[in-house]
Amino acid sequence: MMNMKRLGTILLVVSVVLILVTVYLAIFFAPLPQTSVESADQIMSAEVGARLHVAGFVSVVYSRGGNAVLDSPEHVVFSIADFRDYGRFLQANNSNNLDQQWWTVRPIDVDSISGGLRSSTGPSVGYKIIPGANLSVEGVVSSQHIAPNSNVTGFSLDSNSGNDITFGPVGAFGIMTAPVAQKIFYFHMPSAWACYLSFGVTLVGSALFLKTRDQKYDRVAFSSAEIGIVFATIAITTGPVWAKQEWGVYWRWDDMKLVTTFVLWLVYIGYLTLRAAIAEPSTKARVSAVYGILSFITVPMSLLSSRIAPLLQSSHPQVIASSSGGLSPQAGLTVGIAVAAFTFLFITMLIKRVEIAEAEDELEELKRRIGEEE
Amino acid sequence: MSDSWTALFVAYSIVWLGLFLFLGYLYLRQRRIDRDIAMLKEEVSKHGK
Repeated sequence: MMNMKRLGTILLVVSVVLILVTVYLAIFFAPLPQTSVESADQIMSAEVGARLHVAGFVSVVYSRGGNAVLDSPEHVVFSIADFRDYGRFLQANNSNNLDQQWWTVRPIDVDSISGGLRSSTGPSVGYKIIPGANLSVEGVVSSQHIAPNSNVTGFSLDSNSGNDITFGPVGAFGIMTAPVAQKIFYFHMPSAWACYLSFGVTLVGSALFLKTRDQKYDRVAFSSAEIGIVFATIAITTGPVWAKQEWGVYWRWDDMKLVTTFVLWLVYIGYLTLRAAIAEPSTKARVSAVYGILSFITVPMSLLSSRIAPLLQSSHPQVIASSSGGLSPQAGLTVGIAVAAFTFLFITMLIKRVEIAEAEDELEELKRRIGEEE
Repeated sequence: MSDSWTALFVAYSIVWLGLFLFLGYLYLRQRRIDRDIAMLKEEVSKHGK
């Protein structure tokens, strides 16, 4: 059997190399993201009369008239635009002078809106649009003012009622506002993966300990939990840095994904706190094994919170098994390498941490023996 | 745009610092424990003699 120390060193070198490769791929290889069901190119090439379905999440909402609430679909026009200069666009919009050279628009007469937040606070039964809401609209292209070589830089949803106009500037729908910052994803998501993996190992280690009462499983369980907290901390600190760019806010307490991940982090902090609070080794191992098993419920809660129920509001992008997201092959390769790197790094850390735990036990034993002799 | 790059730099720094500080901490911790064990073993062997 290969020496564990040697395996750890090899995996460390491999994971560092893979992380460096990920940085390179993320910056120079992976394309800028689009989360729309239909790509920007498809949207831009649509003819008058074409049926379009555009979905994504709202990054920023500007409202005129105080409420970011849309009327029922038949009163809403959805515009796909190349805003270029959003400040000038707003100015032109306010003076009803939109058809300018420096911005173009392709309106759709919307016949369905889904997502958002149904609200009873608006002037009528409306769709309250909040930053981060998942939203999709469907309708027919009614006119075109798209200049050649335009890029979709934003979308807007206009209510004909005149009171409520909601604008999503650059990338509010489907295309991200901060595509460069999206490259944070290539480390944010693998960190989250590594934290779920760590807590999974804690679950297995805890169950095996309860079954066999073998201390080595307890060592694996708490070592893995400690590493999981490091990865979880990285995930929940890099996420807000990205969110600030994309959504305009660092954190949203009404987003289930964010909240459940924060709860997961707290629960596993609690695991380590609990261990630190119990002095007697066998009680410590037994109680923390039970806690380690029960706390695993927070992992599926966090993992699935952005997709399990339509009632749960989450604007967090879905990556796996998502119909509204999806990665390009280049992005998939980049994130795949990052996931491999973080998995190897996790194994390296686990080997090292378990080694330390064994050494700590040996140290305690030596201290006990010296104490007895004296 | 520059904000976006700054955010990217900050996030990547968090990742690198977080991971490698933790790895560094593990290696230092092990070195200290190994040193303590060696010291205690020496003490035990002295007692034995």
